[in-house]
Amino acid sequence: MAYSRGNSHSDILSGFGQGLPLDQEDLVDENTILVQRTLRSGQSIRYNGNVVVLGDVNPGAEISAAGNVIVMGALRGVVHAGAGGDEKAVVLAFKLQPTQLRISNHITRPPDNETPDADHPEMARIRDGVVTIEVFQTGLNDRAGVGK
Amino acid sequence: MGEVFVITSGKGGVGKTTTTANIGTGLASAGKKVVLVDADIGLRNLDVVLGLENRIVFDIVDVTSGNCRLRQALIKDKRLEGLHLLPAAQTKDKTAVSPDQMRTLCTELKKEFDYVVIDCPAGIEQGFRNAIAGADKAIVVTTPEVSAVRDADRIIGLLEAAELRDPKLIINRIRPKMVRQGDMMSIEDIIDILAVDLIGVIPEDEMIVITTNRGEPVVLDQHSRSGQAYRNINRRILGEEVPMMSMEEDGFFKKLRKIIGLN
Repeated sequence: MAYSRGNSHSDILSGFGQGLPLDQEDLVDENTILVQRTLRSGQSIRYNGNVVVLGDVNPGAEISAAGNVIVMGALRGVVHAGAGGDEKAVVLAFKLQPTQLRISNHITRPPDNETPDADHPEMARIRDGVVTIEVFQTGLNDRAGVGK
Repeated sequence: MGEVFVITSGKGGVGKTTTTANIGTGLASAGKKVVLVDADIGLRNLDVVLGLENRIVFDIVDVTSGNCRLRQALIKDKRLEGLHLLPAAQTKDKTAVSPDQMRTLCTELKKEFDYVVIDCPAGIEQGFRNAIAGADKAIVVTTPEVSAVRDADRIIGLLEAAELRDPKLIINRIRPKMVRQGDMMSIEDIIDILAVDLIGVIPEDEMIVITTNRGEPVVLDQHSRSGQAYRNINRRILGEEVPMMSMEEDGFFKKLRKIIGLN
């Protein structure tokens, strides 16, 4: 049930371009809401589309989105991307430390013994049927960012 | 058929959740089948104290509203085979569950478990009403402070009105040195006011803070005094006669003897 972080890291760092290229056009579409605050314990967002948070998501807070979830801050609560069954949905955060991370019908949690101190943006998505965490990379030729 | 205990106090911060976690863990390590129910909807903590927060998928509100089956919401403890947790919902409030639903839930749980231990929220409003609805017995937690004892007295009255007679008392966070100096209410002072049976006294202990933050109940720690106190309470719940722990702190020579292994 625990997701792996270390492996996918080295995958990405050693074999650049080996992973599926992330089509950034897919990340953003019309149906997106912007949450301009920090979500605290007990607060929840449910949305039938993408969710972008300008703030943190604290432990005890919940985001459930039919599409992708992007947190411009620390993600420490429970997050569910692709809640309607979209296996392509991703979760992206500046600090990805969720209590529990769900994509589509996959439910994962961080390994019990590991307290990673993510100091760079990371992205979670389903690859080969498992949720993997990787360093968020905008691509070598195009560093324009997500919302171009 | 199991027994349903509710751990309550009236006042907040006296150690209901810590006590629930330690009684549940202790009974499970004695080989009993135990389920802990967090009735503090909206301010759940029991999952954190047990280190099970990241395993929650369904909660008590999902069960009572029929979103999932009871079995799906029960979380198995990561250390003890017989210990289970039914977590509270965090994004709802106390009105999401009714006393009738709690009674039905407790009846269901009693069929499968030897002990059902309910962590009651602070206060005397609906959360409290829900928590006590399905209980057979009550354990009241207080600290040696006038305000906590006053609230415990009010709670005992409300429990009696709800036909929960003879609650047991736990006095938490007692500091023997302050009691000796006359700066803190003594066990006798508290019993004098509340007039209920004492089932245990827990000394103030830094290990509580450490173990709570780590998500490992102190009852599993063989060296701490508070862990010993909780183990004694569990043995009393299981029907053993256990003398009250001496509140004297270990003196220098006793400590020395412990260190060199002459216990």
